Amino acid sequence: MAMEGQIALTVLMGVLLLGVAVWLTRLEDWRSYTPLAGGGVIGDETGHAHHEKPSGIIRWFTTVDHKDIGILYGTYAVIAFAWGGLAAFLMRTELVTADITILPGTQVYNALLTSHGITMLFLFGTPILAAFANYFVPLFIDANDMAFPRINAIAFWLLPPGALLVWAGFFLAPFADAVTGGSAMSWTMYPPLSAEQTNPANDLMLLGLHLTGVSATMGAINFIATIFTERGENVGWSNLDIFSWTVLTQSGLILFAFPLLGSAIIMLLFDRNFGTTFFAAEGGGTILWQHLFWFFGHPEVYILVLPPMGIISYVLPRFAGRKLFGFKFVVYSTLAIGVLSFGVWAHHMFTTGIDPRLRASFMAVSLAIAIPSAVKTFNWITTMWNGKIRLTTPMLFCIGFVSNFIIGGVTGVFLAAIPVDLVLHDTYYVVGHFHYIVMGAIAFAGFAGLYYWYPMYAGRWYQKTLAKWHFWLSMIGTNLTFFAMILLGYAGFTRRYATYSGLTVGPVEVITLLHQTATAGAVLLLVGQIIWVWNMVNSYYDGPRVETGDPWNLQEDGMRGREWLWFERRLETTIATDGGDEEEALTDGGEVETDDD
Amino acid sequence: MDEQPGLSDQYRMSSPWPMLIAFGIAIAEVGIFWPLAPMAVGGLLMLVGSLVGMIRETGYVESPWPLLGGFGIALVAVGAALFSYSGGAFAVNSVAESTRSAGSVGLRGVSIAVSGGLAIVGALVGKYWTTANADARY
Repeated sequence: MAMEGQIALTVLMGVLLLGVAVWLTRLEDWRSYTPLAGGGVIGDETGHAHHEKPSGIIRWFTTVDHKDIGILYGTYAVIAFAWGGLAAFLMRTELVTADITILPGTQVYNALLTSHGITMLFLFGTPILAAFANYFVPLFIDANDMAFPRINAIAFWLLPPGALLVWAGFFLAPFADAVTGGSAMSWTMYPPLSAEQTNPANDLMLLGLHLTGVSATMGAINFIATIFTERGENVGWSNLDIFSWTVLTQSGLILFAFPLLGSAIIMLLFDRNFGTTFFAAEGGGTILWQHLFWFFGHPEVYILVLPPMGIISYVLPRFAGRKLFGFKFVVYSTLAIGVLSFGVWAHHMFTTGIDPRLRASFMAVSLAIAIPSAVKTFNWITTMWNGKIRLTTPMLFCIGFVSNFIIGGVTGVFLAAIPVDLVLHDTYYVVGHFHYIVMGAIAFAGFAGLYYWYPMYAGRWYQKTLAKWHFWLSMIGTNLTFFAMILLGYAGFTRRYATYSGLTVGPVEVITLLHQTATAGAVLLLVGQIIWVWNMVNSYYDGPRVETGDPWNLQEDGMRGREWLWFERRLETTIATDGGDEEEALTDGGEVETDDD
Repeated sequence: MDEQPGLSDQYRMSSPWPMLIAFGIAIAEVGIFWPLAPMAVGGLLMLVGSLVGMIRETGYVESPWPLLGGFGIALVAVGAALFSYSGGAFAVNSVAESTRSAGSVGLRGVSIAVSGGLAIVGALVGKYWTTANADARY
C-alpha cells in the first residue's frame, strides 16, 4: 500500500522534473548566456541580455520586475482575501442560530476559524502590503528596481505553495483517511491542544506557515537593502516619503519577529512528531509557547498596521490639499511604535498567572504605545483641518480608516489595562477590537491605496459609483459587525464558540440579537467586496483610459508625488516610441477618451 | 500594459529560476518531513539545480557543473549522516504511520543522499558529455 504510493509519487515527480527541464530548454538559450556585468543583477545595458519580457503567462512565471511582482503579490492577496472572507462569512452564517445548522459540525467551524485567522494575517495581510511596497517603494525612492530582484521573486513564489499547505487539510480530507479536515488549532496554535491533535493537516499548516515566514523575511531584507542603498541622487533621508519610512520600519520588525516564529514553529513541529518536549508540561511548558508566539505575534500587529498607516499618511494629504501635518513626528511615532512593539507581548497573557510585577510593566508599555498611535491620529485630523477636502473614494477610505482606527485603538487601550483585561479576556470584545484594526483600518488603507493608484497600475479608471457603494457597504458593514462584537464582549460572550444553545444565564436574547446583527453586517461586507472585485476586474478591461500623468489633479496643490511623475514619463515614452507598441496605438485610435475623475 | 518602455525596463527582467527555487524548497520540505522519498529527491534536485542555474545566470560562477557537484556532495554528506544516525534502519511508511521511527529517519537520510548522488551524476554528465556551456561567453 505504502510502497505503491511511493512508486506513483516517483513517476509523478519524474514527470514533473522532466517537464521543468523541457520548459527550461524552451525558455533559456543555454549556449548564449551572458552574465550581467559585475555580477550585479541591476546591471547596465550589456547589449546581450534579454531586454523584452516574455509574453503571456510565462512573463508572470519568470518576472523579476518589481512592478510585476507587486501585481502578483496583489493578485495572490486578493485570492487569499476571498478565501479568508468566505470562511468568515460561513462562520457568521452559522452563528445566526444557536445550534449547528449550516456547517456539518463544530470541528468544521474550528477549521474555518483557524483558516480565516491564518489566511487573513499571513496570506492576505502581509502580501497585500508587500504588493504596495514592491510596486511603489522603488518608484518613490527613484530606484531602478529592488536591490535583489531575483530574491524578490523567490519570496513571492514561496507564498502559493505556502497557502496550499496551510489550506491542505480542506483539500486532502476527501482523499486521505488520516486527514480529518482542515487544521483546527486556531491561529495562535497554543499547546497542548496543538501538540496533541493528531490531524496531519496541522503539520502541513505549520510547514506552510514556515514558508510564508521565510518569504516575509526575504522580502524584508530586500526592502531594507533597497531603501538604504538604491535611493536616487535626489532622495535623501530628509525627503524620504512617509510610505517608505513605514515599510523600512516594518521590515525591521519582520527581521526580528519572523525568524522567531519560524523557530517556534519548528519546535512545535518537533514536539508533534519527534518526541521533543519544548512545550510539554514536563519540558519547557505550555506558557513558553505563548511567550515565543506573542514575542512574534504582537510585533506582527504593527508589521500589518505600519505600512497601511504609511498609505494613509501619503494619500490623505493629497485630497486635503495640504502637506501632512507634522511629517517628522509621524516618522518618529512610526519608529517609536516599532521599538515599543517588542515590549508589549505579555499583555496577551495577563490571565495566565504570570508574575504581577511583570504584568504591570507590560501594562505600562502597552498603554505607552497608545501615545505614538495618537500622535498619528491627531496629525491626520489636523492635516484635514481647514483643508480643501475632496471626497474621492480613496479619501473616503482614508477617513474611514481614521474613524475605525480610533474605535479599534481606544478599545485596545482599555484591554491594555490589567483589571479590564481580566474581565474581557477571551470575549468577543477582543475580537471586535482587533477586527476594527485589521478590517476597519488595515483593509481600508489597502482599499484606499488600490483606488488611489488604480489609474497607474491599471492604466484605466475604475467606476466611481461602484467604488462609492463599496466604501459605504464596507464602512457600515464593518461597524455593524464589529461593534456588535464589542457589545457581545461586554455581555461576557466567549470567543471561538460554534454554538451557544447551551447558554442559560445572562442576556440570552440580546446575545442572539447581537450575533444576528453581526451577521447582517457580514452580509453587507460580502456584497461590498463582490462589488469591489467586479469593479477592479471589469474596469481593468473596460474602464476609460488614463491619459494624463496627473489623473487626480494634484499639481495645482503641489501635491503630485514622484510616482506620478514616473507615470507621466511612461505615458510620454509610450507615445514617443509607439513604433514598438503598434497594436496599442492602432486599437487606441477609436477608443473613448478619459475624463479626469 | 507594462510592455511599454519606462524607468525600469532597461535590463533583464525575466528569470525562470526564482519560481523553481521556491517550489523546490516547498516540495523538498514536505518530502523530507513526511518521509515521501520521491518528493524529497525531486524537490531537492529542483532546488539545487535552480540555485546553480540562478548563480550561473547572474555571473557569480562561469560554469554550473562544479557548483552542482558541490551541492551534490553536501547532500550526500547530510544524507549519509542522517542514515547512520538512524542506525542504518530503513522503512517505507505510509503517511498515517509514525514519522519518528528509526526506519523513517533512515529513509529521510537515504532520500537526501540519493538526491545528492543524482546531482553529482548530473554534474558529471553536464561537464563531460554535453556541450551545454563549458565557458561563459562575454
